[in-house]
Amino acid sequence: MSGESNGAPAGAPNAASTAVDSTKKASAPSNAAAPPANPEKLTPAQLKAKAKAEKAARRAQVKEARAAAAAAAPAPQEKGAAAADGKGGKPKGKQDGQSLAVPRASVSGRRPSMHRVLEKEKEQDVRPNVLECFSHVPTAKRIPLSQAHKDVHPAVLAVGQMMATYALNDSIARLKAMLLAFKKVIESYETPKGSSLSRHFVPHVLNPQIEYLTECRPMCFAMGNAIRLLKGKINKFDIDTPENEAKEALLEWVDFVINERISLAEYAIALNAAESIHEGDTILTYGRHRLVERALLKAKELGKFFDVIVIDDHFERDGQNLATTLCKAGIHVLYSPNLGGLRPKVAAASNVFLGGEGIFANGSMNARSGTADVAMAAANAGVKVMVLCESINFDRDRVSVDSMTYNEVDPERNTPDFFRVLYDNTHDKYISGVMTEFESGGGSSPAQAILALLRKQEDPLIA
Amino acid sequence: MAPSQAGHVPTLDNLIKSFNDLPLEASMDSLIFLLKRRQIKGDDCAKATAHFLRHVVAKSKWTSVNHLIEQVRSYGTRLAQAAPLEPVIGNVVRRVLGLIRDEAAEDRNADDVASETASDIQDIQSLAPGAPPPQPLQRATTASPVRPTLGSITSGLLVSNSMFNLLSVAEPLGSPLTGASTPMSSALHASVHALRSEVMDGIEEILDEINQADDQIAGFADIQIHPGDYVLAYQPTKTVERFLIKAASKRRFTLLLAGLQVPDPSAEPPYAALRKRLAAAGVQTINLASNGLMAYIPRVNKVIFGAKAVYQNGGLLVDSGCCVAAQAAHEYLKPVIALCPVYKFTPEDPSNEVVRGELGDPSSYVSYANGPAVDLLDIENTVTDYIPPELVDVYLTNLGPQTRHHLASILADHYKTEDIAFSLQFDEDS
Repeated sequence: MSGESNGAPAGAPNAASTAVDSTKKASAPSNAAAPPANPEKLTPAQLKAKAKAEKAARRAQVKEARAAAAAAAPAPQEKGAAAADGKGGKPKGKQDGQSLAVPRASVSGRRPSMHRVLEKEKEQDVRPNVLECFSHVPTAKRIPLSQAHKDVHPAVLAVGQMMATYALNDSIARLKAMLLAFKKVIESYETPKGSSLSRHFVPHVLNPQIEYLTECRPMCFAMGNAIRLLKGKINKFDIDTPENEAKEALLEWVDFVINERISLAEYAIALNAAESIHEGDTILTYGRHRLVERALLKAKELGKFFDVIVIDDHFERDGQNLATTLCKAGIHVLYSPNLGGLRPKVAAASNVFLGGEGIFANGSMNARSGTADVAMAAANAGVKVMVLCESINFDRDRVSVDSMTYNEVDPERNTPDFFRVLYDNTHDKYISGVMTEFESGGGSSPAQAILALLRKQEDPLIA
Repeated sequence: MAPSQAGHVPTLDNLIKSFNDLPLEASMDSLIFLLKRRQIKGDDCAKATAHFLRHVVAKSKWTSVNHLIEQVRSYGTRLAQAAPLEPVIGNVVRRVLGLIRDEAAEDRNADDVASETASDIQDIQSLAPGAPPPQPLQRATTASPVRPTLGSITSGLLVSNSMFNLLSVAEPLGSPLTGASTPMSSALHASVHALRSEVMDGIEEILDEINQADDQIAGFADIQIHPGDYVLAYQPTKTVERFLIKAASKRRFTLLLAGLQVPDPSAEPPYAALRKRLAAAGVQTINLASNGLMAYIPRVNKVIFGAKAVYQNGGLLVDSGCCVAAQAAHEYLKPVIALCPVYKFTPEDPSNEVVRGELGDPSSYVSYANGPAVDLLDIENTVTDYIPPELVDVYLTNLGPQTRHHLASILADHYKTEDIAFSLQFDEDS
C-alpha cells in the first residue's frame, strides 16, 4: 500500500490499476470527489491520498466524540459521589475505591468509555441495598448506545432511551412510540435476495429491536400484545407477496392499530366514563392518568356539574398537574397530597375512577403504586371503583395475585435510603367495573370477564 | 413557624425548668403557646401536662379538696383546649383528678376510723359527692361510684403516707362544700399540707409511669417479633424505635420503614440514627418511598406503629397515612400491633373531627411560589388519621398486650367515672 502511493506520483504506467483501487477505497465516502471543481484534473494518486486524509479525519472525529462521551460520563458519577458523601459513612468508602479505579482504567485502557460502562453495569448488578425478597424485580436500564446490538434501528434506539429514562412512562405512550418506531423499521427494510419478508423480517430485523426495548425497560402488556399482533400479521403473508405490497400492508396495519386501539379507544372510554358521571357526583381519583383526565374534562364539556377529589402520591406529584388542569377547566377540585385521611375522603366520594396500566387475565389490575390502597379503601367504604383501561392493555396469558409477580423497581429510588416499586396489583374484588372501548352509555364490564370480553368482540388477541 | 425561629424553640426540658421560676399563670401561658404552635406534641404533651399540674398543686392556693379539684380542672381545661387533638392532656388531667379524689378519700377514711362521728361522714360525703368511700367496682351505676382499689397503681405506694396522716391528723379535713370558707384551724392546715405532698408524690408517679412506659413496652419486643420476620413500621415514634432496638438485640428480623416524607436531598436520610443502630445489631432496614403499601404487605409479617391516643371504642388516633398500613395489613390478615402506653387511653369516643383528621400545613407539598395553582386548588394535607378498632389486632401497652375487648376495664382502672366527663365540660365552655 505505501509502496503504491510512493510510486503513484511517477505517473502514467500503473495509473489505471491504482485508479481502480482508489475508487474502490473512496466509494464509501461518496462525496469524496465532489468538492474539487474538476475531478478529472486530479491524478488517481492524489485522489487516493485525499480519500485517505478524509478517512483519517473521520476517524479522528469519531475518536474525539468518544473522548467527549468519556468526559461526559464522569459527570454523573461525580454527582453520585457527591451525593454519597452527603450520606456519609459506608458509601463513601466504596465511591473512593471507584474513583481510584477510574483513572487507572483511562490510563491503561484505550477505550475509557467501555470501561466505565462495564463498571457501571457491575455496580448495578450488585445492588447491595435491595432486600433479597425484592431482588427478582426488574428495573429499567440505560444501555449506552455503543452497547446496543448493531441491528437496532436508530428510531428504536431513541425510543429505548426514552423508555429507560421514563420520558415515555405511560403504557400507551410507550406502545405508540414503539409502533411509530417500527414503522420506520419497516420502511427502511429491504428483503435480502433469496428470502421473503414474511420469513426474514421477524427473526433478523424485528427481534433485535424487541430485545433491545425489553432490555431498556420491561415491556408493558400493551407492547407485548402489539408485538404479538404484528408477528401474527407478518406470518400471514404469503411467501410470494411482493415486498412493497407487504410493507405497504404492514404500515397500514400499524396505523390502523394506532387509530383503533389507541386514539379511538381513548376517545370512546373518555366519553363512556363521562356519561357515567351524574350531576352532583364527587369523583375521586389517584395520581394522574390520561384516561381519567380526559374523561373528567369530557364530562365538564358535556355540561355536567361535579366535584373531583385528587389524591396524590407525594413521591410523584403527578396528581397536582391533574388538579391544576381540572381547576382551569372550571371543575372544583380538592387536592390531597398524600394518603392521609383516605378513609373519610373515599367515603365522601360517589365514584372512584382509576386508570390502569394493564389488567391480568384473572382481572387484577396493574397500576401505579398506591392505586390498590385507594381501591381497597373505596371498596371497603362501599364506593364504586371504576377502572378505565384500553383493551390493548389486557393480558390474556399472565395471572397475578401478588404485586411482586410482575413489577418494576424505580431505578431512581433504588438506593440504600429509598426503595420503591412502580406498580401494585389491585385484586379484582376491589374493582366494581372496567370501562374499555367496547362499552358505551356509561356501562362497564366486570374485571373478571376480560377474556370473555375479548373473545366476544372476536378480538384478534384471543383468536 | 418561620424556620429562623427554630433555634429559639424552647425544649420541653427548658420549659419544665422554667416552671420553677415563673408564676403559675406565666408558665401556663408559655405552655399553651407551645401547644398551640404544635411545638410540643405527642408524648411530650403528657409530660408537660403532668409537670404543670404538679406545679398547680404545689403553688396554687387552695383550702379544700374541692377547691383543688376545681383548680386542676380549670387549668387542665385550658390546656386541653389549647390542643384539642392531643387527648393525652385530658388523660393526664383526669388521672391527676382521680388521684386527688383518691387521696382525699383515703384521708377521710382515716378520719372515719379516728373519729366515727356521723357528722364527719356527712361532711365527707357532701364534700366529694362523687367519691364515697370504697365500694365494689361497678362502672355502670349512675350514682357514679368509684373503683375503690382503683388507686392500685397510682396510689398504692402512698398508703404508708396516709398512715402517717392517720396519726397526725386529728380533725376531719375540709368541712364546707358550699365554698364558704371556714376558719382554718392548724389541723386543717396540716391536712392540706399532707394532701399536697401526697398528690405531688402521686403526680411524680404518673410522670414515672410516662417515662418508663416506652421501656416497659420494649420489654415485650421479643415476644412479638420473631426471627426472620419482615416487620413494617409506619413512621416510628420514639416508643416504636425503642421497641425495635430492643427487638433487634434479641432477634434478627428485617425492617421496612414506611410513611416517610419526600427526602430533602440536603438533609440526612430519614431515620438514619435508628437504621444505624439496627444495622449494628444486624437488622437490615429499608426505607419504602411509597404512599401505597399494598404492594409490600404480602411480604410483611406484621405492622407496627405508635398510637397518639386510644379511644374508648378501641379506635386509634395516629399519624397520617398510618391507616393505609393498617388497612392493607388487615386485608392480608397480617397482625397490626399498636404500641400505646396506658396514659394514652382516652375514656371518650372519637369526635367527628378526629375521624376526619386534622389538617396541617400544605406548604411542603404545594409550592407557594406557584401563585395561580395555589389560588385554584383546595389543598388538604391531613396530618392525623383515625383507625377504626376492627383494623387493630394487638394493643401493646406498658401493662402488656391487650385486645380491644379488654380496653374498658383498663379505662375503668385508671379513671374515675366523675372525671370522664372532663372533656364534655370543656366543650360546653368553649
